[in-house]
Amino acid sequence: MEEDDSTKVLDLIKDLVLRLLSHNPTSNSSPTSSDFQKSLRYAIRILTSRMTPSIAPDAAAIAESIKRRLATEGKSSQALTFADLYTKFASKTGPGSVNNKWAVLYLLKIVAEDRKCRQTQFESSMLLPNLVASDPVLGKKSGAAPEKEWQKGVLLVAKDPENLRDVAFKEFSNLLKEENEVTEEVLVRDVLYACQGIDGKYVKFDNNSDGYVLSNLVKASRATRTMVRKLCEMGWLFRKVKGYISESMERFPAEDIGTVGHAFCAALQDELSEYYKLLAILEAQSMNPIPLVSEAASSGNYLSLRRLAVWFAEPMAKMRLMAVLVDKCRVLKGGTMAGAIHLHAQHGDPLVLEFMRRLLRRVCSPLFEMVRSWVLEGELEDIFSEFFVVGQQVKAESLWREGYRLHAGMLPSFISQSLAQRILRTGKSINFLRVCCEDMGWADAATEAAAAAGTTTKRGGLGYGETDALESLVDEAAKRIDKHLLDVMHKRYKFKDHCLAIKRYLLLGQGDFVQYLMDIVGPELSEPANAISSFKLSGLLETAIRSSNAQYDDPDILDRLKVKMMPHGTGDRGWDVFSLEYEARVPLDTVFTESVMSKYLRIFNFLWKLRRVEHALIGTWKTMKPNCITSCSLTKLHHGVKLQLLSTLRRCQVLWVEMNHFVTNLQYYIMFEVLEVSWSDFSNEMEAAMDLDDLLAAHEKYLHSIFEKSLLGEQSQTLCKSLFVLFDIILRFRSHADRLYEGIHELQCRTIESSLPSRDKSKKSRTTERSLETASWIADGKKALTQRAGEFLRNVEQDLAALAKEYSSLLEEFISQLPLQQHVDLKFLLFRLDFTEFYSQLRPHV
Amino acid sequence: MDQEAARTARESLDLAFHMSNVLDAGIDRHTLSVLIALCDMGVNPEALAAVVKELRREPPSSDTIVSSNKS
Repeated sequence: MEEDDSTKVLDLIKDLVLRLLSHNPTSNSSPTSSDFQKSLRYAIRILTSRMTPSIAPDAAAIAESIKRRLATEGKSSQALTFADLYTKFASKTGPGSVNNKWAVLYLLKIVAEDRKCRQTQFESSMLLPNLVASDPVLGKKSGAAPEKEWQKGVLLVAKDPENLRDVAFKEFSNLLKEENEVTEEVLVRDVLYACQGIDGKYVKFDNNSDGYVLSNLVKASRATRTMVRKLCEMGWLFRKVKGYISESMERFPAEDIGTVGHAFCAALQDELSEYYKLLAILEAQSMNPIPLVSEAASSGNYLSLRRLAVWFAEPMAKMRLMAVLVDKCRVLKGGTMAGAIHLHAQHGDPLVLEFMRRLLRRVCSPLFEMVRSWVLEGELEDIFSEFFVVGQQVKAESLWREGYRLHAGMLPSFISQSLAQRILRTGKSINFLRVCCEDMGWADAATEAAAAAGTTTKRGGLGYGETDALESLVDEAAKRIDKHLLDVMHKRYKFKDHCLAIKRYLLLGQGDFVQYLMDIVGPELSEPANAISSFKLSGLLETAIRSSNAQYDDPDILDRLKVKMMPHGTGDRGWDVFSLEYEARVPLDTVFTESVMSKYLRIFNFLWKLRRVEHALIGTWKTMKPNCITSCSLTKLHHGVKLQLLSTLRRCQVLWVEMNHFVTNLQYYIMFEVLEVSWSDFSNEMEAAMDLDDLLAAHEKYLHSIFEKSLLGEQSQTLCKSLFVLFDIILRFRSHADRLYEGIHELQCRTIESSLPSRDKSKKSRTTERSLETASWIADGKKALTQRAGEFLRNVEQDLAALAKEYSSLLEEFISQLPLQQHVDLKFLLFRLDFTEFYSQLRPHV
Repeated sequence: MDQEAARTARESLDLAFHMSNVLDAGIDRHTLSVLIALCDMGVNPEALAAVVKELRREPPSSDTIVSSNKS
């Protein structure tokens, strides 16, 4: 069968060659001629060569292609005829019809094309006979019969393959060809290169215009150029991002890029590797032709510039975003960087949003890790100072107040100020517990908090966008740690007890103790300040404690109570420099800092002074008290003197009562309106305090209110000054009163002395005269005594009168200043002092 | 049946010849029939087209010319 077929094919070929040769006018067509034999051999050689069709066998597609070509050539009627013929041809099926229709069609197509091509070539060769070198067929032909058609010289030139002109011509045409081929695929390849930051053959980076441009030497349409430039923006952006990453990575360990910056670079790197993947796919695709069988011209490569533009739309947006971020973040780091990136994440486009979210998760992870370890472990893992909590080395006592603070610049905007405060406080509490309280119980509290918040204590539990989770974690941790801290403060360090002790001893709340101390320390303190030994005073303090109810107090508390001598100048008395001190140890010194203690000291000084004045007045009262008896014994005195004595005594009494009224009411006010009220407020707030800051604030408020209400504040300085002057006057009054009673006492003694001997003889008062005579003190007898007494009493009375005048004017001033004070409680003091409206009625007259 | 087949064959040949004319392929009827026959025998149409192209131009006087023609 095969034999048969092959002989049949051979026959057919012979026939074909014969027929073809018979058309050729120049050749001999006899079947026996050598030409025929040659042609036949040639034909067979062609046919047996393994030429395979370059297209898929599809008759319809070929027909379509032929039709379209006819149409584009302007032969639409022929195209229609052809279509008609083809449909008929295709409908012929069954025995006798052509089986291999596509082959026939294809054959026809190629032959027709070839013929047309030759015709046009021929035409052009006719028009430009001198430039026909490009057609070697014709050249050959003319070479065969030169003299017939063209002038010999020209043809010889054309024929010579070694001819320079010919060679140059060929090169030129090749160059043109190459340029024409620069259309798509080469450009696409170049653009793909450019997008990876590599210079292509035609598209190169130009430093002047700062971008990738298509070389000017290449002939391309304006549209193509624009397209290439647009696509190459990608390359420019890519260079920028890539440059930033490599730069940052290079500097990373040495300089302060920070972990956040590092994370940012890593995230960018990931995005870039996505982008590389895309480029790799595109590059692979660009090699493949479009899987379509149609005309050769349109079945170019899969990727055209336009397709590339579509492919690049999304990556371009991302790349642009990355470039913007890179620009923004070049100089930033840490929380600031995260905040800046977060600002860019506020975008309506879901694509951008999603991208930024992914990026931010990566960028923020070190930051959140810092927050987590800070809140749960109190660890500040911040080598590059990127965290918004900054720690500094301080002493234990100021750890709470100054040890840590917020760094506003590093606070990313997605963490609110209040949340940041809570974060700061929680970590601070842990550190405080660890450093100052030497407590380890917080670890349990932290674990509990983490469990309650639903996150693990492991790393990487939190991420960007889970602000709620972060907040709940912080809240839980803060709640528990603060509670634990307060528990420790109250139970282990007995915060309240110490406050109470301070109130009792420094604020003189413990009456019997103060009274006793005043009694035994008084004589010592009257000495000049530099003559007083604080050892002795410490001993006296001990005695005072032991002999008052204070002895039943906690020894730990009593142990902290110390005598303190303030720095003194010349002329200071003991009273001016003596003070009590309460030693606050770690961790209580966080609350009772030095400044707080100095305030307590000032309050103590004030109260001590007030006490002293009160004490002095009571002392005066004590000396005045037995006087009713002594005054009776003085009835024997001369009438004038007696009257004078009585009036002096009376003036003294009245002044004393006036002063006592003032001091008692002031004392009452300080004790009940100021100290106790503030204390009760403070206790309530202490109970309600949620964290150490609250506690500190409550204590601060307590102290401040005492300070202000006791007239020690800035605003009441003049008032305080006049008050101290009043105290001075009262103390001076005491010395005058003492002098008066001493004088009276002495007078009394003399009188008794002089009357005693006469009492035996006669009970007449006249006898005193005689006894006085014997007395050495009053040599001039009763008259002289009377005179002396009168003089003395007059002096005292004058002094007292001056004192009373000074006092009442000062008191007037003091009272008139009271209503000007801001503090509402001072109104009560005024009300108390002027209860009977005595002073207010007095005022208009003055 | 044979007559039917012959008619179909003739018609097909007519149509093909028409198409050839429309396309201005310059192939006469007889040659076309031979070509169709060869195609039906499974000969590669591209090769056939090459043969037609080559032989129509001129007799292959030497191999070098053929190669230059092909280029």
